[in-house]
Amino acid sequence: MIAQNFEYSSPTSLDEALRIVAGGNAKILAGGMSLIPLMKLRLAAPEHLVDLRQIPDLQGISEERGSIRIGAMTTHFQVESSALLRASCPLLAEAAAHIGDVQVRNMGTLGGSLAHADPAADYPASLFALEARVRLISASSDRTIALGDFLVDTFTTAAEAGEMIREVIVPVEEAGTGVSYQKLLQPASGFAIVGVAARIRKAGGKISMARVGVTGLGPMPYRAMTVENLLVGTAGSPEDIKKAASVAAAGVEANSDIHASAAYRARMAAVYAGRAIQAAVSRAA
Amino acid sequence: MKIGGAYQLPLGRDRAYSLLQDPAILAGCIPGCDGLVRTADHEYDMKMKLALASISGLFEGKVRITEQKEPRSFRLGVEGKGKIGFMKGEGLLQLADKDGGTEVSYEGDVHVGGTIAAVGQRLLDTTAKMMIKRFFDKLAEIAGQ
Repeated sequence: MIAQNFEYSSPTSLDEALRIVAGGNAKILAGGMSLIPLMKLRLAAPEHLVDLRQIPDLQGISEERGSIRIGAMTTHFQVESSALLRASCPLLAEAAAHIGDVQVRNMGTLGGSLAHADPAADYPASLFALEARVRLISASSDRTIALGDFLVDTFTTAAEAGEMIREVIVPVEEAGTGVSYQKLLQPASGFAIVGVAARIRKAGGKISMARVGVTGLGPMPYRAMTVENLLVGTAGSPEDIKKAASVAAAGVEANSDIHASAAYRARMAAVYAGRAIQAAVSRAA
Repeated sequence: MKIGGAYQLPLGRDRAYSLLQDPAILAGCIPGCDGLVRTADHEYDMKMKLALASISGLFEGKVRITEQKEPRSFRLGVEGKGKIGFMKGEGLLQLADKDGGTEVSYEGDVHVGGTIAAVGQRLLDTTAKMMIKRFFDKLAEIAGQ
């Protein structure tokens, strides 16, 4: 349970970190809640770790013209407890509170979790519902892409060699929007068997906007647009919600493992979609 | 773990079948495969570098093709062993004409053991599916060239 030898750098500026990462041999350490256990088991044996913890540019949560920018190295606990996020983007704060356990939330980071791209991670459900964008930087580039373009496949992202996540951008929630994240958790790991995030806005007694993100069900998290389309224009009655939630798993090849069969996962996706939407509807003004 | 699925290839059935028997093509399609070395008829030694998320490891093993019924079906066996664990998979691949191309359906069993299985149980199914998809995506890509 001891990792293989490796070089360790802990740069204090973004430029320095980008220079090291551009070299190609270094693996980024962004909290280490997935990477360090893999290294201890010797499933991963990077030659060089670059710890991003001491870089001020990757920290912090700030609001600017209707958007909130969250630095990649912001810990789950900081997301969960941020006064700004709790007031202006409560869905993400709620999702962060569901991650792992206290130790994981104190060490693990938003950028680290996204870059790892675990198909059952909590954040992507909410980030899909929020239509979040991811800003990627390298020594020679700076681009901002939609979450759906960033997540490519299981454990696979669009980040290229030399690139790292600088920040994640979410919208400031409009007043009156109801949000909820509901999760069936696998008790041993804390990962979602399925997790569903919902954002609902109402106008004139009807649902005028619906966003639904799902994690844990298939090879990668996704935005459930068929569910959204079935919700918009309805009054959001329990029957409306049940009907819309029933297609949460439609067209997705569900995962199967010792914790949950594919059929059970798909069924739970509908159940938890129903719960998340119901809670969001009841919170929407 | 049972696996199964189908994949549509934009190729005629005879061509799809012969590509799937070609060690150079197989080597190019098996994710991380460094090459296949023939040891007997339809039997090859394989070296494979797995790199997924932060996990990386070298596997050494064999690829074996049996029960060939050209151009309808054959059985493909893949096994590998490395420091981080071992895997052994066997499946029946069937080829059928469909929509002007060929549908390859597969059904089989995969066993994964060692450290990687002990800690990765939650993700084995997803990962196996992804690797199979990459295999066929690559095959379709090579075939299109």
